[in-house]
Amino acid sequence: MSDAKKSVWAATSIVLSVAAVFGGLKVRQHTDIGSIQAVGKDSSTSHMLASRSNEVNVPAADYFYELSLKLKEQYVEPVSDDQKLASGAIRGMVASLGDPDSVYMDNDQFKAFLNARVGKFEGIGADLVLTTESHAPAPKTAGQIPDGEMGADEALVFVREIPKVQVASIVPGGPADRAGVQVGDTVESIDDHWVVHSDLIRKFRLASKKFNDKKITRLELEKLRTELRAKFERSIFPGKAKDRLFMGKSGVVNVVWNRSGSIKKTRIVRAPSSLEGFSDKQGTIRIPFVEKSADQLKAAIRGKGSITIDLRNNTLGDVQAMKQCLDVLVPKGTYGYFVTKRHDKPTPLIVQKGNPNPPKIRLVVDRSTRGIAEAFASALVSKGVASGSTSEMGGDPCSRQVVQLQDGSGYTLVTSKYQASVTSQVVSKRGGVK
Amino acid sequence: MKSISKLFSFGAVILACFVFGFAWPDLQRGKLPSSHAVNSLFGVRSGAAASPEQQFSHAYTKILTDYIQPVDPTNLKYAGMEGLMSALGDPHTVFMPPRAAEAFNDETKANFGGIGARLGTDSLGAKIVSVFEDGPAAAAGIKAGSIVTAVDGKSVTGKEIDEIVTMIKGKEGTTVHLTVVQSDKPRPVVLTIKRARIIAPTVDSKYLAASQVGYMSVLSFSEPTAAQFDHEIAKLEAHPLKGLVIDLRDNPGGLLDSAVDMLSRFFENKLVVKMKFRDGHEESAQTIPGLLHEFNYPIAVLLNEDSASAAEIFAGCLHDYGRAKLVGTHSYGKASVQNVFPLIDQSSAKITIAKYFLPFTPFFGRKVDQDGVFLTGGLEPDLKAELPPSTIIDPEDPKTDNQLWKAIQLLNPQAGAK
Repeated sequence: MSDAKKSVWAATSIVLSVAAVFGGLKVRQHTDIGSIQAVGKDSSTSHMLASRSNEVNVPAADYFYELSLKLKEQYVEPVSDDQKLASGAIRGMVASLGDPDSVYMDNDQFKAFLNARVGKFEGIGADLVLTTESHAPAPKTAGQIPDGEMGADEALVFVREIPKVQVASIVPGGPADRAGVQVGDTVESIDDHWVVHSDLIRKFRLASKKFNDKKITRLELEKLRTELRAKFERSIFPGKAKDRLFMGKSGVVNVVWNRSGSIKKTRIVRAPSSLEGFSDKQGTIRIPFVEKSADQLKAAIRGKGSITIDLRNNTLGDVQAMKQCLDVLVPKGTYGYFVTKRHDKPTPLIVQKGNPNPPKIRLVVDRSTRGIAEAFASALVSKGVASGSTSEMGGDPCSRQVVQLQDGSGYTLVTSKYQASVTSQVVSKRGGVK
Repeated sequence: MKSISKLFSFGAVILACFVFGFAWPDLQRGKLPSSHAVNSLFGVRSGAAASPEQQFSHAYTKILTDYIQPVDPTNLKYAGMEGLMSALGDPHTVFMPPRAAEAFNDETKANFGGIGARLGTDSLGAKIVSVFEDGPAAAAGIKAGSIVTAVDGKSVTGKEIDEIVTMIKGKEGTTVHLTVVQSDKPRPVVLTIKRARIIAPTVDSKYLAASQVGYMSVLSFSEPTAAQFDHEIAKLEAHPLKGLVIDLRDNPGGLLDSAVDMLSRFFENKLVVKMKFRDGHEESAQTIPGLLHEFNYPIAVLLNEDSASAAEIFAGCLHDYGRAKLVGTHSYGKASVQNVFPLIDQSSAKITIAKYFLPFTPFFGRKVDQDGVFLTGGLEPDLKAELPPSTIIDPEDPKTDNQLWKAIQLLNPQAGAK
């Protein structure tokens, strides 16, 4: 073997060995990030706690492992339920996003949520959302108060937004519907418990500022303070309020609603109710955007020259199902984008094969058209393949993932928002990474 | 032939490198890869379920990569750890990320100067609850009931009370400017106060002549508390006494020894509290002989949800041995001992390592739900009395304090009859 050939061999083998090491590491990370748990009992020498290394950034998985171990070793009662710890940690992470659409749900909450996705409601028979109709600029860095310049007035008025509980859709003929509740109503109180929201707190802060500037009297301020205290005495937080309306198959709730300023009192008996799944009545089609929707849609449009799609009371659809529906309904092409605020490129909503002979589509939407259904409607109308006014919709065309955990709890995570078109500004405003 | 064995050994080296890389995360810890990891390498799913750790890692990665907004990985990790520790439902077992851990250290170590006043919550800022005699605040003319709305020109309206106290405290000898709203002045005044080292009195008393009841408030349990207690008892016993009210409302506790000392005035050689540790071993505290005092009158103890720890032990013992009736609302329910474990990234884990047990009362530790909302725990009062939130207490008139008034009536049913 010549020297040249030898050195090529040597170089190749070195490169291959190094690649193998990294390959092994990579495969390992892929196969099992949490494998550290399965290691035997002899872990009393705690890596994270005892380490003298200067490495401060402990990987999250290690952190989880070490902290669980510490609890098991030290906590006054035996800790054996690892799943409870994991679910708690996930709950903490999701909650830190401060996003009313990305939420952790315990076992019962998640079950009710999954049932509602396929049209089986309990509670008052309505989908409820936590909404912040922002008065103040909403915090845009995931649950944080925005940094940067803020005037004194804004600082005073700014309180961490506490969302309101709002009706997003209603099961026709369900308990809420019979009680006269409407989409868009917000919950003021439940069973005499005030549902906490930021408006009153903000009002009080403004008043105390006015008082400092001597624009109102102490008496006026005291009055407001008394009102605020009395309300807080009997109060309930929005998440819990939502549960009381969304869950349970029996019992009575007394709900006071706010319909654009006017107060409406109702007494509602909780009961199971169901939203029609996929249906096709005289050419009017309802699509729930769940697993089989696309097949059903394909069958329903066969041989029809024109159809009407009713997307009212449609809030919980799934993005994959929606894409499949587009595929059977409309010709191939790009139907807008899913955008994020992560400085990454918008993901185009592409119909690959498509339907070369689409029917004429008329859409029926209203404020109860929300989430993926709203994205679907916008996509059709913006591309000109459907008619109908989409100006009055839920205003939240977001795509969210749903993740179920082993113990039956689960969470949702908003991943992107639909936008019919993108400007270069949206693609990357700041460029660069923070 | 030679080249085949060459190729073979070359392959073996590459394979060894791969195995090394695969096992590296474990080797760093001085261990071998788990069977789970090896199985999943060959596509075997050991048990269909993902382990709790995997679910956590999966969620962590998913949020970082898929959430609509960028998320700071460190904050996310800490939020996860906070959630992990709060999953036990014990409000005292908490994760403290670096910044909170630092503040906690400051609190326990540093000796700050203050203005010599006790502050309470108020929606406008902080309310002056009481002013210490001879302190800087008293010298500047601040009276109880005034409200601090700004500190050094910065509005404190809406701030947490702890935060306001931190703003007011500072190095001894430095000055602080307080904007104060006083009920007798039409507009807020700005006062300049020099901070000083404050030794707060922990016991205060007052003889309520109209009902012939002694009133004593114990604000916390520190070293001089027992001696101050004796001193104030002597003062009260100079008057005819139909009863004694010991006010432990807002008393966060303090030294267990001091509570034991005070209880030794009531009974000797009796069990005060038993501490049970995880490994089953127990420690207990008993009252000391030779300190007995004769209390010839009934006693009532006032409690609220901010009465905690040593205050609950003191009240609970008096109650368990039949020496006092408890009046007010349920107490906090601090019936445990914590240890703080520092972690290498400057954060720390505060973990409950033992539980307190009173002589007869069943375990009274506080339980909360995952939002931190109170579920159960604390000492239950014999006589329940709420203090409506908008109550304005006139220190000169016990009737304005519903809880105190109920206690007085319990001790002296004739009180207020005239």
